[in-house]
Amino acid sequence: MTSTRTSQSMTDRSVNFQPAAPAVRAPSPYPPAGGGGTREAPSRRALARIPLLRTLRDGSGFDVVLVLCAVGYLLVFAAFPLAYTLVMSLQQVDMFSLASFDRPFAGLDNYRDVFSRPEALQILKNTVIFVVLSITFQLSIGFGLALFFQQPFPGATYIRGVFLAGWIMPALVVGAIWKWIFAGDFGVLNYLLTSLHLTGGKIFWLSDPDVALFAVIIANIWLGIPFNMILLSVGLAAIPRDLYEAAEIDGARAFRRFRHITLPLMRSTLGAVVALGIIFTLQQFDLIAALTQGGPANASNVAQYWSWQMSFQTYEISAGSVVAVLMIALVILVAALYVRSTEREHAA
Amino acid sequence: MSRTLRLLLGTAALLASTALARAEPVTLEVWTHDDEGEFTYVLAKEFQTQHPDITVNIKHVAFADVVNDAMRAYTTGSAPDVIGIDNPETAMFAARGVLLDLSPYVAQSQVIKLDAFYPGPRNSATWDGKLYGIPRASNTLALYYNADMFKAAGLDPDKPPQTWDQLYQAAKKLTDPAKNVYGLAFSAIATEEATFQLLPFVQSAGADYDSVGSDGAIRALEFWQKLLDEKLASPDTLIRGQHDSAGTFNTGSAAMVISGPWELPDMSKQAKFDWRVALFPVEKEGSPRASALGDFNNVIFKTSKHPKEAFMLLEYIYSQNHRNWNDFGLLPPVQDAKVDSPQWPKAYAVFTEQMQYARPRGPNPDWPKISKAIQTAIQSALTHQSDAKTALQTAQATIDRVLKK
Repeated sequence: MTSTRTSQSMTDRSVNFQPAAPAVRAPSPYPPAGGGGTREAPSRRALARIPLLRTLRDGSGFDVVLVLCAVGYLLVFAAFPLAYTLVMSLQQVDMFSLASFDRPFAGLDNYRDVFSRPEALQILKNTVIFVVLSITFQLSIGFGLALFFQQPFPGATYIRGVFLAGWIMPALVVGAIWKWIFAGDFGVLNYLLTSLHLTGGKIFWLSDPDVALFAVIIANIWLGIPFNMILLSVGLAAIPRDLYEAAEIDGARAFRRFRHITLPLMRSTLGAVVALGIIFTLQQFDLIAALTQGGPANASNVAQYWSWQMSFQTYEISAGSVVAVLMIALVILVAALYVRSTEREHAA
Repeated sequence: MSRTLRLLLGTAALLASTALARAEPVTLEVWTHDDEGEFTYVLAKEFQTQHPDITVNIKHVAFADVVNDAMRAYTTGSAPDVIGIDNPETAMFAARGVLLDLSPYVAQSQVIKLDAFYPGPRNSATWDGKLYGIPRASNTLALYYNADMFKAAGLDPDKPPQTWDQLYQAAKKLTDPAKNVYGLAFSAIATEEATFQLLPFVQSAGADYDSVGSDGAIRALEFWQKLLDEKLASPDTLIRGQHDSAGTFNTGSAAMVISGPWELPDMSKQAKFDWRVALFPVEKEGSPRASALGDFNNVIFKTSKHPKEAFMLLEYIYSQNHRNWNDFGLLPPVQDAKVDSPQWPKAYAVFTEQMQYARPRGPNPDWPKISKAIQTAIQSALTHQSDAKTALQTAQATIDRVLKK
C-alpha cells in the first residue's frame, strides 16, 4: 500500500538514510512517526514489535481499527439486542424484571407454550400467505411498471415520481387511508364495486374473517410496489441496449427478448429484491395496527403483530421473544440463501 | 458595633437562614397522558401558584405507552413522583409493590374523604385492603339515542329502551338498510374497548369477569351475536373503536350508540339532531344495574423522594373535582361534587346517576391477560368461529389459570 511506503521512506530519511527502503524495516528503538516518546519505552518497544500495532496509524493496523469500530457498533446495536431477545425467550420475563439479567431460567417451556396456543397455527399460516402473496404481486406489478417506464414517453419521469407516493407515506397513514377505503358501510371501494355491478352487496373487507387478510395484503402490495419498481428500474437500466437491438434484428419478439435477455441478466437484482422484500414484509407492523389490529379473531394476525401483542398488550414478554427469535431465524435463512445465490453468480 | 448589636445581628442572620432552609424548593415529576392545556397541566399550574416552593415538571406520555414507560422507568430507577394510570392497571402496579400506600395519608387528610368516592373508582384504586391511588376523574357508559329517528319510527323518545329486549325491538324498528342506517352502534374491536363494552351486559346478567363461562355471560354474548347476525349493528363493529362507532351515530348512520361522556364535545358539534342519553339497559326488569368504569387514578411511586408534597398535589386535584365537568369534560369521581350549571345538564344527570352503578374492571394485577381472554371469546363468537358457550368457556379456563397464579 502506498501509505506504508511513504511512511517508511519518511522515517528512513529522518533516522538513518538508506537509498533503498527494505520491504520490512528492522525494529527501531522509536515507534513510527508521531508515536509517543520514550516515556513508557520498555512496553512500547515490546508492543512495537507486533507488526499490526506498529501500523496503527496507517497501514493494516488502521484498517483493523476501522473494521473494529464498525463491528463494535454492530455488536452493541445489532448483535446484543438479538442475543438478548434469544436469552429472554429462554427465561421467565416479567414486566418489572426487564432491567435485571437475573431471571428464572425457563428452558424451552416458552417455546412449548407458544406453539400450544390455539391461534399459533392460524397465525403462522397467515404469515406465510401474507409474505408469499405480497412478494408475488409487489414483484410482478413493480416489474411491469419498471418495464413500462423504460419506454421513453413524455412525462415519464414525473409520472414515475407519482408512483413513489406509497413509499414516501408512513405506513400508519397508508393504513388509515385504506381503512376508510375498505370501510364496509361507507367505503369508496364498496361504492365503486356496487356501482360497477361487480359485486352484489357490500363486502366487509376488514371485518369478514374470510376477507380481512386479503384486504391487508392488498394494502401492503400498494405500499411495496414503489420499492420494487425503483430497484428493478435500476437493474433494467444496467442491461445494455445493444443486446436488445441485436435480438430484434435477429427477429426475436418482445416476449422472447424478455425471457432470454432481461430475466437472466436481472437474476441478481431479482434475488436482492425478493430477499429484501421478504425481510421488509416480515417487518410490516404499522399497516396491520392501523387496519385490523390482527382481527377479527386473528383472521389477519401475522407473526410480527402477534409478537408485539404478546409483549406489549398482555406483557407476556417471554412469549413475544419466542416469536421474535423464530422470525430472526427465518430472516437469517432468507439472507443466507440470498448470499449463497449471489456467490454462485460471482463465481460464474 | 457594640457587642449587643453584633449578637442581635448574628441571631437574626441565623434565624433568617433557618427560615430559608425550611422553605427549600421541591420539584415533583408528574407524568400524564393529558395534552398540554388539559386537566393535569391546568391544575398543576394552579397548585404551583398556591405553593411557590413546589415546582411541578409535567411530562406527556401517550395513552398507549403509559404502562410501558412507567414500568421501564421504575425498573431503571427513574420513576416519576406522580403518574395517572388507567384504573384497571392500578392493581398491576400495586400488587408489584411499586406504589406508595396512601391509606395513612388519606386517613389524616382534611381534603380527601374516602367515603365520598363512588364505589367503583374507590374499588379500582384499592388492592389488598389498602388504597394505592386517588381517582382523578371517572367516566362510564350509557345509551345515546337519536330522538328524531325514534319519532320517525313511531317510538316514544321519552321512553328509551331500558331492557335488552326493548333495546332489540327498538333497534329492529330503527334499522333501515335502504338508508344505510343501523339501529345500534357499539364496539367489539379486539382491544380493551370490547371488554369495556361487554362487561356491563355480563354484569347485568348476574356474572362478572371471573365467571364469564356462566349462563349470564353466555346470554350477554349471545345477545351481541343476535344484534350482529340480524344486521341491527354493522359488521364493522368488530374492527371499530368506540370513538369511530360514536362517529357513525353523529353522522346519522346509527340510531343509538353505547358510549361515554367523552363524546359529548364532538357530538354537540357534529350531531345535527335531538340526541339524548339514557341509562345503560339492564337484562330484564329487576336485573342488577351495571356500567363500565373508565378514567384514571393518580398514584405515587414508592421511590418518590417527596411523598408529602406529591400527596398535596393529589389533594389539590381532588379539591377541584367539582370543576371536572364544565372545565375538562370529565365526570367527578365523588358523589357529592357540587357542579353548578353543568353543560349538557340532562346528559350530566344521567351520567352522574349511572356512576353509582359503575363497576371497576377487576381489579386484578393480571387484568390485561383476563381482558385478552374475553376479547378472544368475543371475536371468536361474533365471527361464528365457535358458539358463544364454547368461546366463553375457553376464556373461563384461561381466566381461572390467571386467577390461580
